[in-house]
Amino acid sequence: MKALAYMRLRAFLRSGRALAPLLCAVALIGIAYGGGAATAGEAYAFTSVVIFPMIAWQTKIILDGEPDVQRRLARVAVGSAGGELAAGLVVAGVAALGAIVIALGLPWIIGGIKPPEHGTLAAQLIAGLWAHLLVVPPAVGIGALSSRALLRNAGWGALALVGGSLLAIVLGLKNSPVPFLAPPLMPAARVTAADPTDFAALLWPTLWGIAWSAVVLAVYARLRRTRA
Amino acid sequence: MRCEDLWLRYARSGPWVLQGISASLGPGEVVVLAGRNGAGKSTLLQVLAGVLTPTRGRVVDRPRRVGWVPEKFPADQPFTTRRYLRHMSAVLGHGSGSVDAWLERLGLSAYADVDLKDLSKGTAQKVGLAQAMIGEPELLVLDEPWEGLDVATRDLVPELVREVAAAGGRTLVSDHRGETAKLPEATVWSLVDGTLAVRETQAADCVVEISVPAHQVAVAVAAWRAQGHNILRVREPERTVQS
Repeated sequence: MKALAYMRLRAFLRSGRALAPLLCAVALIGIAYGGGAATAGEAYAFTSVVIFPMIAWQTKIILDGEPDVQRRLARVAVGSAGGELAAGLVVAGVAALGAIVIALGLPWIIGGIKPPEHGTLAAQLIAGLWAHLLVVPPAVGIGALSSRALLRNAGWGALALVGGSLLAIVLGLKNSPVPFLAPPLMPAARVTAADPTDFAALLWPTLWGIAWSAVVLAVYARLRRTRA
Repeated sequence: MRCEDLWLRYARSGPWVLQGISASLGPGEVVVLAGRNGAGKSTLLQVLAGVLTPTRGRVVDRPRRVGWVPEKFPADQPFTTRRYLRHMSAVLGHGSGSVDAWLERLGLSAYADVDLKDLSKGTAQKVGLAQAMIGEPELLVLDEPWEGLDVATRDLVPELVREVAAAGGRTLVSDHRGETAKLPEATVWSLVDGTLAVRETQAADCVVEISVPAHQVAVAVAAWRAQGHNILRVREPERTVQS
C-alpha cells in the first residue's frame, strides 16, 4: 500500500495537475487579503473554508489522474480492493497537507495578518492549524465520492464535486435547518474567528468532523468494492 | 482455485454478462478462454484475477501473487518504462532487481528511459506483459496478449505461459487470433453468452482451410459455429491485377 501511495504521489506531482487548484486557492486568498489585514484567527477561519473545495478538487484530480486500467492493475498488484483505495486516500491526505501549508503561510507572505486583539498569536496559530486539519478528511471524502471510479461520467463527477462543496458550506451556515448534514467546517471557522483561544469549543466540531468523515469514507469504500 | 456460481452484471437493471459460471483451475494448468466478441471473456478474466467483484458467487483459493495483462496497456502515465516497472515491482512487494532482466528479455532495453506515452502500441503491450511477470505470478491472466506484439514477442508468450505452469502456476488466456494453437496442452473454456462450456484440451484440433464463395461466407460461418466449430478467422479474397 505504501509503495502504491508513493507511486501515485509521484504521478500526481509529475503530471502538473496540482497547479489548477493551487493557483485557484492562491488567487482567492490573495484577493481576500490584498486590500487589508485581519487577525490570524479571522484569516485562518477564511482560509480553512476556502481550502475545503480546493482539497476536494485536488482529491478528485489525484484519483482521476490514474487511467482506469492502471487503477485495476494496482488493485491486482496490491491484492485487495481496500489496499488500493486506501493508497489513493492517503495520497489525497498528504497532498492536502501541502495545500494547508500554503493556506497557513500565504496570508503572512502578503501581509494579510495583523497582531491579535485578544489571546496570543500562538493560540491563534494552533486554532487555525486545527481548523485546517479538520477540513482534510471531509474534503477528501467529497473528492473521493465525486471520483470517476464511482461516477464514471465526467458531468456527474463535476456536479458532485461542486454541489458537495457548496452544500458543505451552505448547510453549515448559522441558521441552517440541517447543519448535521454538512461537515463542521463552518462551525470550526466561526470558533476560530470569534475566539481562537477557546479550544473546548473546537471539541464538538472535531468529534462531528470525525463521525461525518467516517460515514462518507465508509460509503466510498463500500461503493468502490464493486467499482474497480 | 475455483469459481462457484459466478454471476455478474455492470448495472442493477443491466443484462447479466456472466451467468452461473463454475469451474476449477489446478496447479500447472493452462486454460484458453474462447468465445465471440462480447461473450464476456474479459469480464470473466477480470473476476478471476480479482479486478472485478462478482454480483453473486465467489472465487475460492485465488493464489496470492496474480499477474494480469489487460487487453490494452494504459500508457498515459507520467513515467518512463523503467521507472514504471520499478514502481510496480515495489507495489508487488519485490525489489527492482528483476526489472532490468525483464526489460532485456522482452526487448524493452532500448525503451527503458522512454516515457510510456511515447511508446508504440506493441511496445506498451510488452510493458503490460513485463509488469505481470515481474511479480512471479502464481496466477497469470492474459487478455488478448498477442494483440500488437511483434513476431518474436508473440512466440515468447507461450514460453512464458509454460514457465508459469512449470513452476506450478495457473494461466488463463483469451485470444481471438488463433494464437492459442501454440498452446496445444491447454484446456479450453468456451464462453457463450455468459455461460461456460468446458472442453478437454485443444490438442486434437486441426486447422482446415476452406474456400467459400464470398456471398455465402456469412451463412457458412454461422452454420459451422452452430455445429460447434471454432472459426479462427475469415480471409478476404486477394485481388489480382492483370497487365
